Amino acid sequence: MRRRSTGDAGLRPTAPSLAAALAVAFAGAVAAPARAWSPVPPADQGRVVLETFTSKARMPPVQFDHWRHRARHTCRLCHVDVGFAMTAGETRVSAATNQGGFHCGACHDGKATWRGKPIFAACGDRAKGEEEGRCTRCHARGDAEQRRKDFEAFAADLPRRGVGGDVDWEEAELKGLVRPADFVEGVSIARKALRMDKDVAIRSQGWMSDVLFSHKKHAAWNGCEVCHPDIFPNQKGEARRTMLQISSGEACGACHGKVAFGLGECQRCHVKPVR
Amino acid sequence: MGRLGFAVLAAAGVTAAFLAGPPAAAQAPARAPAARDGWKQEFEELCAKTQDAMALDSEELRSLVSRCDKLKPAIDGLAESERKVYAKRLAGCRNLYAYVLESREAGQGR
Repeated sequence: MRRRSTGDAGLRPTAPSLAAALAVAFAGAVAAPARAWSPVPPADQGRVVLETFTSKARMPPVQFDHWRHRARHTCRLCHVDVGFAMTAGETRVSAATNQGGFHCGACHDGKATWRGKPIFAACGDRAKGEEEGRCTRCHARGDAEQRRKDFEAFAADLPRRGVGGDVDWEEAELKGLVRPADFVEGVSIARKALRMDKDVAIRSQGWMSDVLFSHKKHAAWNGCEVCHPDIFPNQKGEARRTMLQISSGEACGACHGKVAFGLGECQRCHVKPVR
Repeated sequence: MGRLGFAVLAAAGVTAAFLAGPPAAAQAPARAPAARDGWKQEFEELCAKTQDAMALDSEELRSLVSRCDKLKPAIDGLAESERKVYAKRLAGCRNLYAYVLESREAGQGR
């Protein structure tokens, strides 16, 4: 999923071009509905279509919405312990892996419970009759209107922010409205809680104020190996990225704009006073 | 049902049970307990330290990277589903330790 670039920290726009850009942005804000400011509607953010093996099995692709799962589990749990890759097509999830108790099957095994109810099993053998309904819970053609309704029902009690109405996950966790689990029995390894509260100052190359990156906020859900070294392979002082690269999905853009707040919320990262 | 019928049914039941093999619980489960699989115990020991990677000394990090490399062939020999998951997980742990080690050495070189 790609989002529009919201600017390029590596460029220094001239005063006339900046004024023109602001004028266009202002005109757009007046003329366009509020949602236009959020390039991807919240119900569609972090949507993943899994289709590597589905066509061979004559099944519709799996439509996975991150928001359905992230209120219940940390990013680390699925992307480290369960083994879901961060890059499309790399996980190679299949009916066989699910039936073996891996990938989706790590939780969707028909035995694990959520709020006292068994979590439906992923991928059975040639499901027939009422079992077919179970297949279509994941292998769906994708009804956009139904997804929007489901999302609105899901997010009804969660804090929202921005004109796009994105869920503020950080606030939701602070208020105890979501409690993402970080351990699945038989899958996760017992380990100490991560203590990483070192902030990293990233000097802006452009007209924006500097970024103050909080390890503490990110480590709470991600652990270390979600980001290092795959997403941030650089050593200290080398991790410079332009907003153009980020909006293309590199570095911060691996999550922000997809499953975390969008790149239009400049002030949430560019928090240091202007030099 | 007479005695003969009962005997036939019992024999059929025993035969069916024999042909079906051991009960599901007795078959090797997809996620066997760590004690039964040496590789898994080693994997869990290796990957249990990722949260502490920054606090480990360089020698320990080197040892962990080396142990991950030694474990890789055992993971590569697993059945496909298990291999897909554990190869990725092991690589994640190994690469993190190597990253922290390189980061530290690069910092010392500055």
